[in-house]
Amino acid sequence: MTDYVDAGEAVAFRTLSNVKGQAPAIRNVDYERIQNARSEPENWMTYYGTYDGQRYSTLDQINKDTVKRLSPAWVFQAGSTGMHSGASTYSFEASPLVVDGVMFVSGPDGKVWAIDPTTGEELWRYKHASPFDTSLCCGNVNRGVAVGHGRVYLYTLNAHLIALDAQTGELIFDTVNGDVRAGESGSVAPLIVKDMVVVGSAGGEFGLRGHMDAFDAMTGERRWRCYTVPKPGEPGSETWGDEAGEAWQRGGANCWVTATYDPELELLFQGTGNPAPDFDGDVRPGDNLYTDSVVAVDVNTGTIQWHYQFTPHDLWDYDSTMENLLFEGPDGRKLLAHADKNGYFFVLDRTNGELVRVFPFVDRITWGEITPDGKVTPKVYPDEEGVPVHFWPGPAGGKEWTHMSYNPQTGLIYVPVQEVGATATRRRREFKESIPYWGAGVAVDLDDHYGFVAAIDPLTGEEKWRWNSEYPMCASTLTTAGGLVFQGTPTGEFVALDADTGEKLWSFQCGSGHHSSPSTFSVDGRQYVAVPTGWGGWVEGFLPGLLGASAGDALFCFALPQE
Amino acid sequence: MTSTDDRADQLHAAGLDGQNRTALGRMLGTGNVGHAEVGDDGIMRATIRIPEDELVFDPSIVVFPHGGEVELTLINDDKNTHCAVLPHNGDPKIIWLVNHSKGTARLSLGGPGTYWYGSTTGNDEGRGLTAALVFGGEVPDSAKIDRPPQPRP
Repeated sequence: MTDYVDAGEAVAFRTLSNVKGQAPAIRNVDYERIQNARSEPENWMTYYGTYDGQRYSTLDQINKDTVKRLSPAWVFQAGSTGMHSGASTYSFEASPLVVDGVMFVSGPDGKVWAIDPTTGEELWRYKHASPFDTSLCCGNVNRGVAVGHGRVYLYTLNAHLIALDAQTGELIFDTVNGDVRAGESGSVAPLIVKDMVVVGSAGGEFGLRGHMDAFDAMTGERRWRCYTVPKPGEPGSETWGDEAGEAWQRGGANCWVTATYDPELELLFQGTGNPAPDFDGDVRPGDNLYTDSVVAVDVNTGTIQWHYQFTPHDLWDYDSTMENLLFEGPDGRKLLAHADKNGYFFVLDRTNGELVRVFPFVDRITWGEITPDGKVTPKVYPDEEGVPVHFWPGPAGGKEWTHMSYNPQTGLIYVPVQEVGATATRRRREFKESIPYWGAGVAVDLDDHYGFVAAIDPLTGEEKWRWNSEYPMCASTLTTAGGLVFQGTPTGEFVALDADTGEKLWSFQCGSGHHSSPSTFSVDGRQYVAVPTGWGGWVEGFLPGLLGASAGDALFCFALPQE
Repeated sequence: MTSTDDRADQLHAAGLDGQNRTALGRMLGTGNVGHAEVGDDGIMRATIRIPEDELVFDPSIVVFPHGGEVELTLINDDKNTHCAVLPHNGDPKIIWLVNHSKGTARLSLGGPGTYWYGSTTGNDEGRGLTAALVFGGEVPDSAKIDRPPQPRP
């Protein structure tokens, strides 16, 4: 038989859905508008809300008095079809952006949606096909998109920078920027600065040489690449002291969390990841710059202007990729706050990297000590082959990538804290591209854990209050002029705390743990709070005691009931 | 060391290479391997069939030399209806394959890497109608890390 029935041609899956394929036009988002994002509190225009990383909104309709009436306005379910990478480790980690009444958000596995932020209606969708066998240290995740120049930018799991039409979701360009055969991947939310889009590499557990990259926002051509491990002869290369001269090639220092930015200084403040191998320092003698650091990068040239290393010669997997929050001291001094995995909170002068203050923000620190003047003394670390060593904080840190927030009204920074230790046993291994390069067996404590939200005065180091939880806090905080701090918990509750006292004022059970960054916005005078939920990612690293908790991938949006 | 023939013999002897033998369905990844042909136009083409009562895409692994534009011819020789939801940059594509039907799928996929697809009706995917498109090659030099060549497994 040859007379087959004509099955036609395969069509886009979305054509068999209620997706409109079109979003309302938004006004152009350019550099000037993003610089002034705080003056448009109805929008959450860029990853942290503003360049300074404060995750603060001046909206106050939802406040201490009204928050008890906060209710779900809608829920968006991401869902999946067929087999995808990290099927057991996906997590909905993004921070939703809202511009001129349109929400743009990314999910796991290369998905981007435009959503009506008042109803949850899906306006358009784009799904970048992500190879099933991409190396992913920490799950099938993405932290968000950038919106500007009429486009939506996504950095994909397989390290492509793609640009989509903001109105239709149609692909404009697709630039390959990472080597998946080397174990590189992408999870960072891009940042638009000037006429560029900035992203960074992920894959520090695979022995890469980390980098951040800036692209022409219109063409997708790379403007510059800044390697965060120097080559021989470059400044900092003397901190890689192995005789073979090979350690730098696999040195790590990846840039998988979005940088903050000071437009006056024209500096990007990028946190860098752990050195590789994570726990076997003998193969990489020296401080291993610029791992576990903040590097201040000239946005115009991609050159490092100054750096501060939080954990020299790291032996505990203490990435410093998490945000560097920018704020001003009472005297107008330009400061930078950073709560590191190593359990210490740093305040730096962001014009030159000078240490202003350092103090612990967690209860249990055994790996070592950092004195008030910044001197680092390691105490407990895996240095003998096959000998287990227990230390606090564990490799996920006293605070992982999930973000703190700063409220100018209270002057406090609200930090999601994880109290979890771990045992590492050094196991040397040779390096092979794309194979995990840890140099140890690691088991994070299953039951001895707790967490809290800490309200910290960055000018004194004083902890003003803490909100305690049985479980570590593994999601970003959000603070508002309504006197509130929002925090998602690993067990699914989304809570609102009094920003002055830490008292819990409201809670809603979302059905799956939080590992994302909520945002707030308003449309037609009604304030909303949006939070992606979905327990996943590197759970075995930050809270293995909840490895068996319910997964999910829903985006909740809350508002006060309409009269 | 197990040779290719040994492997096929082992699967057959264990009752894993067909329907309703040892297991209920066919073990995934046990079908044939095929290779796409690259046309003068640069498009990589392959034909994939669903044989009668086997609930398998044949070949169940198609190898492509590199990422790019793909054109698949999909033929359902079975006496039941199936479909294929296939990976594609932008959105997955779906084609409905009634009994004894033939259609095409044009896909754009990056490489290197593996993509799975399946017949998403009932539990066709679990019974054996899950298959792979495998792309070889390297990323462009511009995407590689500036360092000497590194050892691979």
